[in-house]
Amino acid sequence: MKFKDLPPVKEQLMKCVRCGKCRSVCPVFAEIKNETAAPRGHVFIVQALRDGKVAPNDKVWEKLNMCLLCEACSINCPSGIDVHELNAAARSYIYENNPSIGRELIFDVLWTNQFLLKTTARVMWGFQKSGLQALARNLGLTKMLPGDLSQAEKIMSNIPYASARSTLREVNPAKGDKKYTVGYFLGCGTDLFFPNVAKAAVDVLTHNGCEVIIPADTKCCGLPHIANGKMDTARQLAVHNIKIFDSYDLDFIVTDCASCSATLSPKNMEFLLSGLKIEDQAMAFAHKVIDLNKLLVDILNIDLQGEEPARKVKVTYHDPCHLANAQGIKEQPRELLRRVPGVEYIEMRDSNRCCGGSGTYSVTHYGISMKILDKKIDRAMETGAEKIATCCPSCMMQLRYGINRHNWDCQVVHPVELVNQVYKDNIALYTGN
Amino acid sequence: MGTATIKKELIKILGEKKVLTDDLDLMYYSYDSSFLTRLEPSNPDAVVIPASTEDVQKTVRFAYENNINIIPRGAGTGETGGCIAVNGGIVLDLSAWDEIVEIDAENMQVIVRPGVIHANLNEQLAKFNLFFPPDPGSSKMCTIGGMVANNASGLRAVKYWSTEPYVLGLEVVMPNGDIIITGGMKARTIKNVSGLNLTKLMVGSEGTLGIITQIRLRCFPVPKARGIAMAVFDNLDDAPATVLDVYQNGVLPSGIEILDSSAIKAVNEFKPEINLPEAEAILLFEVDGNPPSVEYEGEIIRNVAVKRARSFEWSTDKKRMAELWEGRSITATAAARVRPDGSRIFAGEDISVPLSKVADTLRAIRNLGEKYGIRVVNYGHIGDGNVHTAPVINPENPDEVEKVLQLVHEIHLLAIEVGGTTTGEHGVGAVRRCYAEAEHGKAVEYMRKIKEACDPKGIMNPGKVF
Repeated sequence: MKFKDLPPVKEQLMKCVRCGKCRSVCPVFAEIKNETAAPRGHVFIVQALRDGKVAPNDKVWEKLNMCLLCEACSINCPSGIDVHELNAAARSYIYENNPSIGRELIFDVLWTNQFLLKTTARVMWGFQKSGLQALARNLGLTKMLPGDLSQAEKIMSNIPYASARSTLREVNPAKGDKKYTVGYFLGCGTDLFFPNVAKAAVDVLTHNGCEVIIPADTKCCGLPHIANGKMDTARQLAVHNIKIFDSYDLDFIVTDCASCSATLSPKNMEFLLSGLKIEDQAMAFAHKVIDLNKLLVDILNIDLQGEEPARKVKVTYHDPCHLANAQGIKEQPRELLRRVPGVEYIEMRDSNRCCGGSGTYSVTHYGISMKILDKKIDRAMETGAEKIATCCPSCMMQLRYGINRHNWDCQVVHPVELVNQVYKDNIALYTGN
Repeated sequence: MGTATIKKELIKILGEKKVLTDDLDLMYYSYDSSFLTRLEPSNPDAVVIPASTEDVQKTVRFAYENNINIIPRGAGTGETGGCIAVNGGIVLDLSAWDEIVEIDAENMQVIVRPGVIHANLNEQLAKFNLFFPPDPGSSKMCTIGGMVANNASGLRAVKYWSTEPYVLGLEVVMPNGDIIITGGMKARTIKNVSGLNLTKLMVGSEGTLGIITQIRLRCFPVPKARGIAMAVFDNLDDAPATVLDVYQNGVLPSGIEILDSSAIKAVNEFKPEINLPEAEAILLFEVDGNPPSVEYEGEIIRNVAVKRARSFEWSTDKKRMAELWEGRSITATAAARVRPDGSRIFAGEDISVPLSKVADTLRAIRNLGEKYGIRVVNYGHIGDGNVHTAPVINPENPDEVEKVLQLVHEIHLLAIEVGGTTTGEHGVGAVRRCYAEAEHGKAVEYMRKIKEACDPKGIMNPGKVF
């Protein structure tokens, strides 16, 4: 489909009245503080692209790429414009006219291939564990990486040796009476960086009567590709994943990753695949996709009985943009946390403000990303929490980095890890282990 | 001086970080919220982002010496093209200069730089139990500098009036680079009649006389209680009659808003669950003050309204108040979304008419809409006669654009004819200056003389106001 015929470009561009409401909610604008970072400005530039008033070149790419795609502007837009979709569509248009070999390599080759992605993570793991990382840092070698990439390896610190996929089975039977058959969409971030979250998700689901299937050959959800202008690759990945999951008979397709569930959501599937042959199949697939917190609270309504410990743990919660903004899921993760015995839940101010992680943004825009992160950590520290819970590997990585940056004694967890701990503790209580 | 030289010189004077010169960056400064700039955006030659009065002074001196236009800009939320370089020049983006210099609570005033956001100011003032009462709908994004330059107001103008009475003094960089303090150089008073009132001259001058770099504002104590009333009318004329009756019974609500049948229909189409009663008009009253006085005044409004209204409801419950107010707060959004293949536009959106003419005016605007085949949504601050009209068109259809421009022109003429004005609170800018003679007659000459005295070279925001 041509750029100007894409639904957001065709239907929404003309709706922007440039009222400026987006200026009041955009985390990037709050740091840069001039109009070149205003979401309405990006909409204006997308219109200029459509009308041929600016060329699809690197300069325009850089401007539009300032946006985190956090969707704060979209959900607050009085005219109902999906600003993030316009931005993503424009990135794709620029990319088609202006391909870059570097991005080709990263997003078409590396990030579409489980094996290669895992191998890269392994190499980085070896690099960290061998102490070479410190040596390289001391010698300033990491500074020789392009742009802010030298910061990337710091943000991705503590890469676990074993990925989730290498330790989890494909079929995980329900404990007790089976209620549902659930497909588990294992996202790249959870798989490679937070295998404990995946393990906890599977344990909690099976504990609550779900048979959990983890199809072997799923690929990335496609969000990194959409964000980097590789819409065609994102489409191919979506089609691949839809076909894989359709070969099972599933009640739900669950994911613990906010970005994956947002990318696989009906709204985004429509954005990616509307008008294509696979649209109906894609929508049926997308309607089965559910966020893990939502499944545990709204569908399974899990009951967590455990002994209240003598001392409660203070936990606060950070809303991932792709959960709160993209899907409106705010209450379920909080409810889950409140149900965990021993958790004293404390709300932080501006809990739904982006942490600045946004996938590769913290690497490509290190300076701004850190300013946004510092505000987030300040808000979190005000609560006196001992743990920050959140539901997105990119946020988890970013928050963990922020905590270290502020020398704060705090842990980042996914709510499901705390839930699973209750089950583990209960088992320990009953068996005396 | 050529554009390239202007850019080079500005960087020399102010440093690279405070100057935007790239063509792509300049495009971001080619628009505000006006329909004019949706049709014809215009880039400045450069943008300066000052962080001090000296930065402004240096920029202005350079512009003065070289006869370059200077256009001050706040958040760019205006609806008149007022902050746009319609004839080229340097745009001064003052919105990043957002320092609250001092909250002088014991003297009930606050000193701010022009870029402070209205909502942020009130958030800080609330810590001292104070507030700056004018409340534009764009509170979360508009700047105090922009409010002062346009003499903005909002929903509560009925009781609290516009920005003007709250401005006690200003620091202004004049077009030749002079820095003046109005309202008394050392004054911290609330009353002051010493000298010609240059403060009031600057308020609402829309950047045509100088650059406002600091603002001293009067603050009020925050009211302790609030109540909302909704009255539904089958006859449009009963709405303004009720408003008048409320005043005559000694009650001055903080705000009185009207939705006419066009707005009620738009809200119900956009959000059926709100389910506003089908009617010719809905009035919403807001009363604030101390709890007993709010209840007392609510009772008076009830007694007056039920004489004409089909139904009436009064509430001081937080949740119910929000529900009652939702119809009003969602009208602008509904206007924007009521036509899937269209968009509301900001043009002809701000006329203000005598209270006695509100009903006739609303009817006339609806008729004009029918005449041109354009959907219009009317709502506004009936308490002060300020009517907001939202025409909804497909802005990419040239026929509709041409028709709406004629419609807008007729709305402006209508306002003048009934003894009103083309703008109640948004300003003149580039889009309404053609009505200056019709509205002010010979007085425009004296406006121009004042302009000449302050800005002999005519570099300050040319093409605006008169």
